[in-house]
Amino acid sequence: MGVIKKLPIYSEKLPGGGLVLTSLEAVINQAQAKSMWYLLFGTACCAIELMCTGASRYDFDRLGMIFRATPRQADLIIAAGTITKKMAPRLRRLYDQMAEPRRVIAMGGCTIKGGPFYYDSYSVEKGIDHIVPVDMYIPGCPPRPESLLEGCIHLQEKIKKQKLSDWQEK
Amino acid sequence: MTFDELKEYLAANFADDLTLLDTGRHEPVYEVKAEKLVTVCRRLREDETLKFDFFCNLGGVDTGERMEAVYSLASYSKKIRVDLKVILPHEKAEIDSVQEVWPAANWYERELWELYGVHVKNHGNLTRFLLPDDWDQGFPMRKDWDAPDFIRMPEL
Repeated sequence: MGVIKKLPIYSEKLPGGGLVLTSLEAVINQAQAKSMWYLLFGTACCAIELMCTGASRYDFDRLGMIFRATPRQADLIIAAGTITKKMAPRLRRLYDQMAEPRRVIAMGGCTIKGGPFYYDSYSVEKGIDHIVPVDMYIPGCPPRPESLLEGCIHLQEKIKKQKLSDWQEK
Repeated sequence: MTFDELKEYLAANFADDLTLLDTGRHEPVYEVKAEKLVTVCRRLREDETLKFDFFCNLGGVDTGERMEAVYSLASYSKKIRVDLKVILPHEKAEIDSVQEVWPAANWYERELWELYGVHVKNHGNLTRFLLPDDWDQGFPMRKDWDAPDFIRMPEL
């Protein structure tokens, strides 16, 4: 019953039965938001915070987020750490290998705008939004696990608000 | 062996090849002429008193006027370290490979060539190492290096 309570207001319990009326959109959005399996993609120190968030103290699992070691099974890529120019084509390739619907979180200053490597750096890509479309930016260097959790919760809210017609067009 | 003993020994036995540089550091730094590098390295390695058997690091320096290659050597059995500095011209900098003395120098020399543009003679596999395979923007650790998306730190 827990899941049914969380569905939007147009869910309805019929008297004397176990039927629920809701929209397909709400069910699909709920399913997508509550099972964002993320790709293990840590390239620098943000990966340590990502691991910490995945471990028992902060517990990503309660958001339905389980790490996957292959992009074929992942719904979400958390770009945790500096993306160098040599790494950029690999990130794009991993993103292309993921099945739709797919989402990207840019975690930390490096993935947003180069971070501490903005000046005087020949090797760092200044923002991964040059490479892949980003759904959520989480600032910090590196962000605390609380920030990452909040970013993921915001992304879930964003997914729940999406219209069926929107993601079909992508 | 202490650093003072090392300095005395090198002054007595390597006076022709090594010149002590005053760097203010505790660890001695010696200048070597580029053409003598390989023979000096071999002697340092095979000398029974020194036994520099460990190639720690190879660094590059661009001072604007000249290039420098800095070899950091260590000896496990004697517990000492030493730095050798080779001063090279800024344009057409060339240096001999020391792989015949320490095979570990292979990757460091590739890195030196790739980032500083110091050509390593007799290397055997002087190809891209750290930079992307299709890199065509020159040697990024040089002082005068520039690229369209390179943002220099503003003067504060």
